Amino acid sequence: MSGAETIIQVLADEGVDTVFGYSGGAILPTYDAIFRYNAEHRVEQTGTDPLHLVVPANEQGAGFMAAGYARASGKVGVFLVTSGPGATNTVTPIRDAMADSTPIVGITGQVPTGAMGTDAFQEAPIVNIMGSCAKHVFLVTRPDMLEATIRTAFEVARSGRPGPVVVDVPKDMQNWVGEFQGEGLLPVRGYRQRMDSLRSAKLSERKSRQFFDMLGQSSRPLLYAGGGIINGNAAAELTEFAEAFNIPVVTTLMGLGAIDTKAELSMHMLGMHGMAYANYAVEDCDFLIAVGARFDDRVAGKVEEFAPLAQHVAHIDIDAAEIGKVRLVDWAHVGEAGRSLSQLTRYGHKSGFDKDFTAWVKHCQQLKRNHPMSYDRESPLIQPHFVVEELNKLTEGRAVIATGVGQHQMWAAQYCDFRGPRQWLTSGSMGTMGFGLPAAIGAQFACPEKMIIDIDGDGSIRMNLGEMETVTNYNLPVKILLLNNMGDGMVRQWQRLYFNENFSGSDKALHRKDFVKAAESDGFPFVRRVTEKAELKEALKEFVEFRGPAFLEVLIDNDASVYPMVGPGMSYQQMVTGEWIPAREIKSARERLDPLHTPDLF
Amino acid sequence: MRHIISILVENEFGALSRVAGLFSARGYNIECLTVAPTDDPTLSRMTLVTIGNDRIIEQIIKQLNKLLDVVKVMDMTEGAHIEREMMLVKVSAATNEAREEVKRLSDIFRGRVLDVTERIYTIELTGASGKLDAFLQALGENVMLEVVRSGVIGISRGEKHMKV
Repeated sequence: MSGAETIIQVLADEGVDTVFGYSGGAILPTYDAIFRYNAEHRVEQTGTDPLHLVVPANEQGAGFMAAGYARASGKVGVFLVTSGPGATNTVTPIRDAMADSTPIVGITGQVPTGAMGTDAFQEAPIVNIMGSCAKHVFLVTRPDMLEATIRTAFEVARSGRPGPVVVDVPKDMQNWVGEFQGEGLLPVRGYRQRMDSLRSAKLSERKSRQFFDMLGQSSRPLLYAGGGIINGNAAAELTEFAEAFNIPVVTTLMGLGAIDTKAELSMHMLGMHGMAYANYAVEDCDFLIAVGARFDDRVAGKVEEFAPLAQHVAHIDIDAAEIGKVRLVDWAHVGEAGRSLSQLTRYGHKSGFDKDFTAWVKHCQQLKRNHPMSYDRESPLIQPHFVVEELNKLTEGRAVIATGVGQHQMWAAQYCDFRGPRQWLTSGSMGTMGFGLPAAIGAQFACPEKMIIDIDGDGSIRMNLGEMETVTNYNLPVKILLLNNMGDGMVRQWQRLYFNENFSGSDKALHRKDFVKAAESDGFPFVRRVTEKAELKEALKEFVEFRGPAFLEVLIDNDASVYPMVGPGMSYQQMVTGEWIPAREIKSARERLDPLHTPDLF
Repeated sequence: MRHIISILVENEFGALSRVAGLFSARGYNIECLTVAPTDDPTLSRMTLVTIGNDRIIEQIIKQLNKLLDVVKVMDMTEGAHIEREMMLVKVSAATNEAREEVKRLSDIFRGRVLDVTERIYTIELTGASGKLDAFLQALGENVMLEVVRSGVIGISRGEKHMKV
């Protein structure tokens, strides 16, 4: 079997059904192998390929498609690109996947080993470049190690804190012919040993008792759930734990869907653009339980004033390096989120823990009622919040939502419901504009039966506009809802707040781009633009009900802002809720000490 | 505080650059770094001297532990340990008086004269970094022609040992 065939066979053995990629000189042998593999193994009746090869417009698209596939399904996403520019185009998705802990295996072609280091055509030092971005990079220099390397790449991508793994395969390794073993991994003894101890990590009786001692001393506990709950498939365990002891939950941007956002205990999202009531709950809690979250600067802008009344902070994470990185905590456990939470639930039941948090839960409910999300509902201009709110009514929080980065991303996070995990695909940590469309495409391949909607902005969608064509090439029922505010809205919002309204480089009002024509030229069968508020509901309904690629552009109020907002480096006390969300009167420190007995909060 | 961190890594392509890359990407400093294969040819041992408060050192060790090539990490400075560095120095010794003075100093610091010409002595000196610094200070700027230092290696005292 050739090296190229070996690669494809390992992919098939790993259960890969879709490969995203763009061909080129140094990866041609593997593209030939995938072609032949599909020809030999094609399902006769349906004509479907066992290893569906999906070709984007740009390799960055392939990277984000693999990420969207992985995020929506929980499986490892795979991309296959050529050397040099093909590989460097995937640097952004690789870094993005690292920052959001997404399991990806990227296979990059490389010039033959003999040509490496000679500045050969389409040569780039991928090991060095990706080494700074990926969870790990393998360079295959011994062909007899190729098979084990590809297999190990999958193990590394999905184990522990998931992440992207790149395998750089020189062309002569692909052309080598040898025997296929069908098994075997690289030794990676240190890593594997650490993973084994992580998997077997058990919460001791003593630590469980300490945890429940703290919970027992608390009267206002709050769960702070992050992306680790989603990546660790621990949403059920989190919900079970929260319900078992009646503890409200705030989630991070990455943690949306960790608990059904319509659940009574859900306080939706906290942070810079979190719900006012979520941030108030953080301000009021006396015991903060962080699970799979990392006190990121978009959550804890001012760490020393984050959850200021918390007597204790507990932290569960799979990555030991996150414990104590930003915030020193009173109790920490390194382990899988789901296992750790169910161990705690069991211990709590066994020990008969029955502290009553009803007053606190009521207080949180009251916060939700008193400080609901809102916007200018009377405005003649189309408010973006209104668009997302109406869309959410139609999807009932059951659609998978992908986004770009900016205002539209925050409106989508705030006004959509997420009834479960893996329904929210967004570039959280890296904040990569252009993520939404390719991620939605990848997600649609992973979940053909689900409704996938890319809520995008005009700035973000431009970044990977070429992938519009990929949607129609594969006739995917991906829906694109473009909120067009003629520029980079989030940048303008910051320029309004901090840069004297100098809209440097962010105003695109004079751009002549016609997105509707663009969608038409790519062959979208449903294309519509909404400029009048009165048309919106009906257009959205048509858009959601359409079967097939659908594109809807809505011209929104250019001046709409994202609120609430906690400015960078600021504490939640300095949160600005804007004109339409009722804010809480700032209490003096002494008054705030007992949120449960401050009558005007109810 | 100054810490000596010992790292056992797979003797793999790119392992050194990954460790060095981690330090530059996260803004930790490296005072010095030595690396060589061990008795087990599949493993290399790196000794790295860095300066940072407890929180930074904790992060460094945790981040190192996330690298795939890293098999084991130990902070030597946590316990009793032995630290050694080797140095070769070329000094100008053109007169009888200078030669005597250099020889005398070298004896005091338990150095060895490895090479001699009419005008130059080359001296080998081993010890903790502080001792090497002291020797250089005692020699004085004027006579020093060239200095090369190996970087620090360390091992813990007593029963404790670092092995896979």
